[in-house]
Amino acid sequence: MTATTHGLAKARRGVAPGGPGRTPKKHTRTSTLKAQTTRTFFWLLLPSVLLLLLINGFPLVYAAIQATHNGSLINTGAFVGWDNFVDVLTSPGFWKAARFTLVFTIVGVFGSWAVGLGLALLLRTRIPARGLFKVLLLLPWVVPIVVSSTAWNWLVATPQSPVPSLFHALGLGTPLFLADPTLAMVTVCVFKVWVSFPFMMMMSASALASVDENIYEAASMDGASRFQQFTQMTLPLVARSTYISWILMTIFCVNDFPTIYLLTGGGPVDATTSLVVFAYRTVFQNFQTGPGVAVAFLMTLTLVIVSALLYRQIRKAGVE
Amino acid sequence: MSTVVHTHTAPASGGSAATAARKSRMVSEAGMRGRWWRFAAILLITAVVLVPIGVVAVLAFTPGTTSTTTGPTFENFTNVFSETLASTWLGNSLVVTLATVVVSVSVAAPAGYVLSRGRSRAVSSYSLLLFVMQSLPIITSVVPLFILFAKLGLVDNLLGITIVYVASTMAVATWMMAAYFDSIPISLEEASWIDGCSVLGSFTKVVLRNSLPGVLSTAIFAFLLAWNDYLVAIVFLRSDLTFTLPIGVQSFFQQNATDWGSVMALAVVMMLPPVIVFAALNKYFSVGGIGGSLAGR
Repeated sequence: MTATTHGLAKARRGVAPGGPGRTPKKHTRTSTLKAQTTRTFFWLLLPSVLLLLLINGFPLVYAAIQATHNGSLINTGAFVGWDNFVDVLTSPGFWKAARFTLVFTIVGVFGSWAVGLGLALLLRTRIPARGLFKVLLLLPWVVPIVVSSTAWNWLVATPQSPVPSLFHALGLGTPLFLADPTLAMVTVCVFKVWVSFPFMMMMSASALASVDENIYEAASMDGASRFQQFTQMTLPLVARSTYISWILMTIFCVNDFPTIYLLTGGGPVDATTSLVVFAYRTVFQNFQTGPGVAVAFLMTLTLVIVSALLYRQIRKAGVE
Repeated sequence: MSTVVHTHTAPASGGSAATAARKSRMVSEAGMRGRWWRFAAILLITAVVLVPIGVVAVLAFTPGTTSTTTGPTFENFTNVFSETLASTWLGNSLVVTLATVVVSVSVAAPAGYVLSRGRSRAVSSYSLLLFVMQSLPIITSVVPLFILFAKLGLVDNLLGITIVYVASTMAVATWMMAAYFDSIPISLEEASWIDGCSVLGSFTKVVLRNSLPGVLSTAIFAFLLAWNDYLVAIVFLRSDLTFTLPIGVQSFFQQNATDWGSVMALAVVMMLPPVIVFAALNKYFSVGGIGGSLAGR
């Protein structure tokens, strides 16, 4: 039972009492099962593989071609080698977008994680109507971004909107949440945290569900403070799932388009233009596919590196 | 973070009956007080968090400036449906979303089963490949697909965006299904093999039949992705007859930015289906499994 190529876990563990079908000889039963399993698994996986190759694989190859050509949406254009990458990497717009993407991702990941974990911890305790709160707090994630960005627009966009008016009434001036470059960045980041924290809350809640409550009793008898219990027991115990949620949220933030585009359109003066918005504009407003796709490739490269680093942390956390 | 530290050691439901009883005697009074403090805190947080959603609902039922009525009204809804293509957009969104859900689940479920039960190198590298594809920005594939679809006549076409949606749900949907299948004991399949059932038969008749929560969870995910998407729709849909709701809402908002009542009425139409689906089925929905499924292989 060594080195199975395709086999059910059970077959590998050597507990197979008999395979499907009626095979007369005992020693061929397992191998029949194995062959049948391989065949069935092949057909079960085939649609998914085909779809992946067609819709993700083909465009990837085509995108690589586009990134090295000076074409448009209509024709491929001439081969220009690394020129697009050089152009992109030397343009100030790209680095401005990269800086904003970095800020947006860091605030998005850790902001939504902190809020989500905090609420998951709060909702783990005994609270009246806990189930209702759990559902209500997921709404920001469930409601379409088109809807919530419209609502946020109504709340903050003009000096007459409710939130600036509230600030004015409190004697804090009249902040222009979407017109001032710095404030617009803050607003977009807060909006992203508002949209994403429910996802982190769900991830945290399911990780916390596997933590045994009884360990805290022993810890408090040993005189550990609640803060120590949190940092030295709870956090390490959910480390693995925390890293996974960071990876996923990093991907979601870097690749995010509607949260930014629908709230500010990338403005004012490109202050909230992220790399995706930058790539979108380059391709669909300036009609330069080469540089646009080059930006997308550079983003992917960064994402893969960051994911790989976090993935190593998961492996480490898994060993403990 | 102070609330976090303060709350999580409060009397909780874990532990044996005896320790629970002892604990509750020891801390009952402080516990009750803490319980109401926490209730007040979560009530306040939830209220603040839900303000933008409440705004949408309230404005949708508020009569416009030119209206003669006062108090809550359905006027905005009737206006929006009579003066825009809202019903067409709603229909388009429903068709695209339902098609995505059906196709996505029927492709992801078998693949997830193989990922869950298969232990070969080919299977684990496929899982890794899914991960890499998932981390690609959708804009990378949208541009080449736009050119391909233009040749095939799939631009400005609902079938075109459905294909893109199915593809973009694939990785997460497969992980969700795999995570659920992991929780089904393999002894169920073993029993069916002994009864002479084929591998395929035991998957469809035994495993799938016991996987309704997993299937629903994946379906909800695909539903939310397809219903809420903006980027793919804005790139591929060009004429207002093929718009889905997100593009419809957005274009209407850009043209009628001051007519908040109608804008919000359309927004309510758009947010109602996901909210209803989620409220009805949320007990089945779990994203926690993705983690195990991602790191386990």
